[in-house]
Amino acid sequence: MKRPPGFVIVVALLAAGALLRMLLGPAADDSGLRVSLSIPTGEVLSLRATAVLSAALVGAVLGLSGLALQSLLRNPLASPFVLGISSGAGFGVACVLVLGYLFAWSGAGLFGREVFGAVAGAALSLAIVSRFGRQTDGHDPTTLVLSGVILGAIFSAGTALLEHMVPFGLRGDLLSWMAGRLPELPSRGELIVVAVAAVGGFAVLARRTQALDVSMLSDDEARSSGVNLGALRGTLFWTGGILAGVAVAYAGPIGFVGLVGPHIARRLLGPRHAALVPGSALAGAALLVLADAVRQAIDLGSGRLPVGVVTALAGGPFFLWLLRRGAWRS
Amino acid sequence: MEILTTALLAGMRLSQRYGATVALHETTIEVERGQILAVVGPNGCGKSTLLRALAGLAHGEGAGGFSLFSSKVPSREHRAKVMAFVPQRPDLAADFTAREVVQLGRFARGADEYAVGDALRAVGLRVRSELPMRVLSGGERQRVAVARALAQIDGADPCVLLLDEPFSGIDPGEVSRIVGALRATAERGAVVLSLHDPGLARAIATHAAVMSGGRIVSHGVASEVLVPETLTKAYGHPIDQVAGWLAPRIEPSR
Repeated sequence: MKRPPGFVIVVALLAAGALLRMLLGPAADDSGLRVSLSIPTGEVLSLRATAVLSAALVGAVLGLSGLALQSLLRNPLASPFVLGISSGAGFGVACVLVLGYLFAWSGAGLFGREVFGAVAGAALSLAIVSRFGRQTDGHDPTTLVLSGVILGAIFSAGTALLEHMVPFGLRGDLLSWMAGRLPELPSRGELIVVAVAAVGGFAVLARRTQALDVSMLSDDEARSSGVNLGALRGTLFWTGGILAGVAVAYAGPIGFVGLVGPHIARRLLGPRHAALVPGSALAGAALLVLADAVRQAIDLGSGRLPVGVVTALAGGPFFLWLLRRGAWRS
Repeated sequence: MEILTTALLAGMRLSQRYGATVALHETTIEVERGQILAVVGPNGCGKSTLLRALAGLAHGEGAGGFSLFSSKVPSREHRAKVMAFVPQRPDLAADFTAREVVQLGRFARGADEYAVGDALRAVGLRVRSELPMRVLSGGERQRVAVARALAQIDGADPCVLLLDEPFSGIDPGEVSRIVGALRATAERGAVVLSLHDPGLARAIATHAAVMSGGRIVSHGVASEVLVPETLTKAYGHPIDQVAGWLAPRIEPSR
């Protein structure tokens, strides 16, 4: 297969973001808070390399999740954040945290329970939102997005309610985590879970690129072409839900990467899933690494600014631009 | 249900209801090799429902028996290799080019650029095949849908092609071009198409089934079935034969 040049652009974006994130740091000369570019060594090097890897993996997971949801609902506006699925996953994690507090679970192995809670919350909200948006012929975009926004608000309120049931120390964690924050010192186990999600999600989608292309036709055409639409949609539902859940359990609800990643891929690589699947993963990774570099430049190593703030400030306007272009009427 | 038939495609006692409405009532129909069968009748008489049921797309209670090449329960894969369906309102992914959409038709049988090229030529879209669907006109999109179905069963012998109102929004010159492609397809199988225009049905079909109220009220050779008396009864409005063409009676304007 001929490699489209769009891949070069996406990979270059990812490389540029990674390089920037590696070199950016607080100025060494204590002359107030200023940013400097320097080649890291030793412990700093390994810290920053882990940060890049972590951002790239979460970005890829979010990009793939967004692509799965967009293909499932046949709508370019779908993404875990917009449809309230991230909030649902966040609510699931908050439930696990509260349960963990009430039953005094130990810290070890808590991430596994968080992932479980997040996936359950994501699946629940995805089921609700796709039921609301369903009409006789596919999904109505307006209803879909509206119910996603409302659902997100409900789940966020539920999370805020739960937050008041736990002591203050845990509460502070929850609050900044809800804004979407990449963990500063991820454990090896957490990184492995996210890596497995990224590779697994990619493999599941990459095996079905042809069926995914055909499913972009009408349901009757896709079925009579030989696609098992029910099974395919089930796979997309669980792929989108699980990936969103893992990403949220790891880094909180980071918005708009799952929306913008697949969109950039579609723009640069065309509508075929053979290109969209790797493209969405790469574009999602590039976006989150770049956003994390920007966050690093703004917060100057203080580590207080959640990366979700950057992606929302950049991705929100992009979403509005998509609305204005009428992308949802495709 | 036991089905003993030599027909290419047979539907036995097909039924479909939408809520309280019976769209299709125990309808039995057989299609033989070489036939172009036109299904005509007034709006809402069950034409689309019958075609979807024949395509194996109906679900729900009492779908009835179904047979494709004497195989009672053809697998999804087998069905997709020998039978193609063009819905009334095809929804063609707007970002894909016309050629890419036609290539999607090869999902079951495997990629074949010759089949894709032939199908595009058959509907007269070869020169515009690299344009994305969103810039094509409604009639052109309809032709792409027909081409996708033609590509799907290219190489299948025998084959069945089902089309629900394939000529909506297509100009007369293109209608005749597509009819040519349908006739070529019927040489190695059968074509079933629903049409709202009985005159057009009479002109292109070998056989016809007239439907009314979810039932087939008349079925046979087109020239015997598509006559003013039968159609007038089915449509509930006088249908005249004007210079050989069947047309609704409309009082001349003053």
